[in-house]
Amino acid sequence: MPKIELSQEALFSYLQARMDDVELEKLLTVAKAELDEPVNEEGIVKIELNDTNRPDLWSTAGLARQLRLHRGAPMPDYGFVSRPGEAVDTGTRRVIVDAGLQEVRPFIAAFAVTGTAIDEALLNDLIQTQEKLCWNYGRKRRSIAMGVYRSDLMKYPVRYVAADPDATRFVPLGLTEELSMRDMLSKHPKGQEFGHIVADAPVFPLLTDDRGDVLSFPPIINSARIGAVEVGDSNLFIEMTGTDMPSLLHACSIVACDLADAGYTILPVTIEYPYDTSLGREVVTPCYFQTPVSTTVPYIEKLLGRAIAGDELAVGLRRMGVTTTITGTDVTIEPPPYRNDFLHPVDVVEDAMIGLGMESFPPEVPSDFTVGRLAPAELFGRRVKSILVGLGYQEMIFNYLGSRRDFIERVYPESAWDAQHAAHVQVANPMSENFEFVRASILPHLLIAESGSANAVYPHLVFEVGKVVRRDASDNYGSLTRNSLGMLGADAEAGFTLINSHISALFYYLGRDYTLRESGDARFIPGRCAEIVVDGKVAGWFGEVHPETLEKFGIQVPVCAGEIDLDTIQGV
Amino acid sequence: MSANDILKSLHPLEVKVLLRYGSNDLIDTARIQEDLRFNLGQCNQAVSWLTAKEFLVEHERVHRTVYEITPLGEEFAQNGTPDERILAFVQEHGSATLPEIASALGLENRDVGSAFGSLSKEGVLAMDAEKRVTVASGTPSERMREVRGLLDEARGGKELAADRLSAVQNEAMAGISKKRGSAGSPFRLVERDEVTYRLTDAGIDAQESLKTAGVTGEEVGALTSRMLKDGSWRGAQFRAYNINIPPSRLVPGRRNPYCEYLDRVKDKLVSLGFEEFDGPIVETEFWNSDALFMPQFHSARDIHDVYYVKEPAHAREIEEPYLSQVAATHEDGWKTGSAGWNYGFDRDFTRRLILRSQGTVMSAKTLPKASIPGKYFGTLRCFRYDQVDATHLSDFYQTEGIVLGESVNLRTLLGFLQMFAEELAGATEVKYVPGYFPFTEPSVEVHIKHPVLGWFELGGSGIFRPEVTEPLGIKVPVLAWGLGIDRMALMNLGLDDLRELFSTNIENVRLRRGN
Repeated sequence: MPKIELSQEALFSYLQARMDDVELEKLLTVAKAELDEPVNEEGIVKIELNDTNRPDLWSTAGLARQLRLHRGAPMPDYGFVSRPGEAVDTGTRRVIVDAGLQEVRPFIAAFAVTGTAIDEALLNDLIQTQEKLCWNYGRKRRSIAMGVYRSDLMKYPVRYVAADPDATRFVPLGLTEELSMRDMLSKHPKGQEFGHIVADAPVFPLLTDDRGDVLSFPPIINSARIGAVEVGDSNLFIEMTGTDMPSLLHACSIVACDLADAGYTILPVTIEYPYDTSLGREVVTPCYFQTPVSTTVPYIEKLLGRAIAGDELAVGLRRMGVTTTITGTDVTIEPPPYRNDFLHPVDVVEDAMIGLGMESFPPEVPSDFTVGRLAPAELFGRRVKSILVGLGYQEMIFNYLGSRRDFIERVYPESAWDAQHAAHVQVANPMSENFEFVRASILPHLLIAESGSANAVYPHLVFEVGKVVRRDASDNYGSLTRNSLGMLGADAEAGFTLINSHISALFYYLGRDYTLRESGDARFIPGRCAEIVVDGKVAGWFGEVHPETLEKFGIQVPVCAGEIDLDTIQGV
Repeated sequence: MSANDILKSLHPLEVKVLLRYGSNDLIDTARIQEDLRFNLGQCNQAVSWLTAKEFLVEHERVHRTVYEITPLGEEFAQNGTPDERILAFVQEHGSATLPEIASALGLENRDVGSAFGSLSKEGVLAMDAEKRVTVASGTPSERMREVRGLLDEARGGKELAADRLSAVQNEAMAGISKKRGSAGSPFRLVERDEVTYRLTDAGIDAQESLKTAGVTGEEVGALTSRMLKDGSWRGAQFRAYNINIPPSRLVPGRRNPYCEYLDRVKDKLVSLGFEEFDGPIVETEFWNSDALFMPQFHSARDIHDVYYVKEPAHAREIEEPYLSQVAATHEDGWKTGSAGWNYGFDRDFTRRLILRSQGTVMSAKTLPKASIPGKYFGTLRCFRYDQVDATHLSDFYQTEGIVLGESVNLRTLLGFLQMFAEELAGATEVKYVPGYFPFTEPSVEVHIKHPVLGWFELGGSGIFRPEVTEPLGIKVPVLAWGLGIDRMALMNLGLDDLRELFSTNIENVRLRRGN
């Protein structure tokens, strides 16, 4: 979720209102935004935007626009956004696309701006918008990369060409010497960061002006001359390249509307493609590409839970920037040019909710009758817990992730490590080796607890009822999650006899019959470990923990322990 | 302490001492032993307890030197000292060499030599030219007589006080006593203080109180099974206990307070008509995200947000028709009325196995078999690729649920949120703000006011998108909600570090109070 930094003064100026933090926080909720840090000494506020489908809100102008509209301000006129096919004379402002780019980075959108000299706040805002749009919405420049240029230094038309990576050379922004485009991928920091997007392509995308002067190497880096925008520039050329036409056009409209709100005149640009696109071979940008969404008043009323008059609905949606046409009960909405988050009529329903205000929907006590039930495993687990508590055990609860060392190497002798590793679910991308395995048994955690608790008054009796996961080739997922009971006793007197009595009492009160079978489990002292057999199936084991295991955990008192698969004895 | 408490704090030994003596009596341990038939240990206990309570006070302390007879001394008294035996031997058997005497009497050569030295000097015995011991005067020396007198007096374990002995006796005693390491000496020299005590005014008051209360020190301590069987309890007086003495610590079997909290939340949800669901920890990308209409290119689905299972990497299959319907919904909206995400759905990636990252997985999986109307919930362990610290864990609980019904809507959703805020969190102030979750539309966050910590987010909720419900066969609206249960538990238990919830320290868990 993006966080943006913006000047509070600029925000208030766009808002045409001033307010305190409390009021601002309340107003921000209509943009699903939160005041992350209130204004600091430099006049900067930090705001977190929660809606990943509203990139139009990730700038000062865009956020302020939504807040202003919700307070009832009229929609600004974004007449520079044309409809597909609409005749617009852009003069020499054209971008001519090379056929060689179709397989590499096929689409581009562009416009020019002119107005007063750009100041530092606006330049910073523009850079931040570029970063957030291209990183969060443009999938780290893969689907959207944006460039800003000094149009005074350029001669139209702009050419978007497929360049030879080795033969094409220019001075990239931030350096003073010429490099080949291929060398930029390894030698320029931006090349190192984003080079992988184009590295494998036979040709690289390149933007030049009509004289062949380089604008940039999208999506990597601008040129050091035309691409070096500074405070004081007043005529800019802005372009975006990418792989997905709708998101590109969307981002183009967002930036154009922001700059229009900042007082600049937006000058559209014609893009000429040598190949077919969803909008034809000639596209004028910024372009309104969205399709209207149709729904009905009853649909909206059903989901929101109250009657909504037609006027009320239109007013509410207007506060979200949405234009609404209501005919009878039919509703058709047109999103504003800077929004592309209407996939389904439910998206209109949510805008109606926010536009009308949460406070206009009083909570209603639910009326459907349903029977509540705990899961059978939960009920059985509670019976087990109450018996264990009666036997004097303290209940514990542990995390489920751990290391190979704790789950396998400290518990088992080395001869068993490979087999145990294969029985555990392992994480392919662990954050650290401490969280690399999902536990297949509760015993390791009980031993960890014992090893760190020598200061606690003895005897120690501890247990956990929780999940374990074991590999199982017969399962669709290759593993099974089971409900398990792990129990441990530690004391000078702790031994087979003690845990044997506890297991016996547990099964008596659970009303389950079992038999014991001698087990050769290497975690236990030979001859002092038993398998619990219920209905012919091994349901668990218990015994005296082997001193070698105890030593590896640094435990200096005798320990007896047991584990029971509760699903087996419950008969699941 | 009140007078009554003081009386109850008295041990029967103390009671007996207090009752036995008057204000003018001088009391010492020897006297108490004799008067009350206490052994020395009981006597010392009674005196030290009463002194600590200031009922007895030290009257006088006298330093004394005494001689205690040792086992060797008792043997000398019985069988004679080496001097006496050597003299007797020579008188009886005639002259003999020192080794012959030693051998015949079973004494060390060295001891016989030194005894002869003294006897020869005192003119009792002598040695001839052949180095044979012969009788000289033949009469015991004065020293020998004094030693014999001392031994006879002390015989039977009596102490001899140095200040009661004559100068001659003291001189004789110096040769046969040692301060420490008394082995080899018939007497041990002991220096000690002899203390006498008297009752204080408080002691006299206590005595009066005891008399008034009729306490004798003969009261019964424990009621025994024998007393119940033979009826002797009827005549018995039971000693009153001091109920303010701190009891000893017990370590009982006990539930974990965090687990109890989770149980209470579950019980509460059951009481509100919710049925519990549960499922595997290992899940597929399909159920974890695809079925929730999160596009496969969504930023929250990066490799660094989910734990992938190493082996096997993929599930064998995804249940149909859900796989095809979900895939079509992602691609073009299928029959849901949605535009879809317009990309090629990856059917291999969707089988990728992960550790479930959100409880909503089970909400989605429950939909195909859910009843209408229906309410379901689960408290599920979830896994996130996070650096573990006070506010992040790599595995933690989420409580999630769904409500299906022909007539559920935003207002019923708010009704549920209000119910959770009041019933689960005890909140009095609740507010709802628009939220964003990829799988719900509209989406609402519920915030409640904590009396100390202020406003915080209780959970997220919304109405499942039709792109989520319809591919899973559900045509009615479905409310979905999730609660940050671990954070609520921290507040309930008065903790401030999530790691504490899963503490492996047995003592910490034992001491932790529930709420």
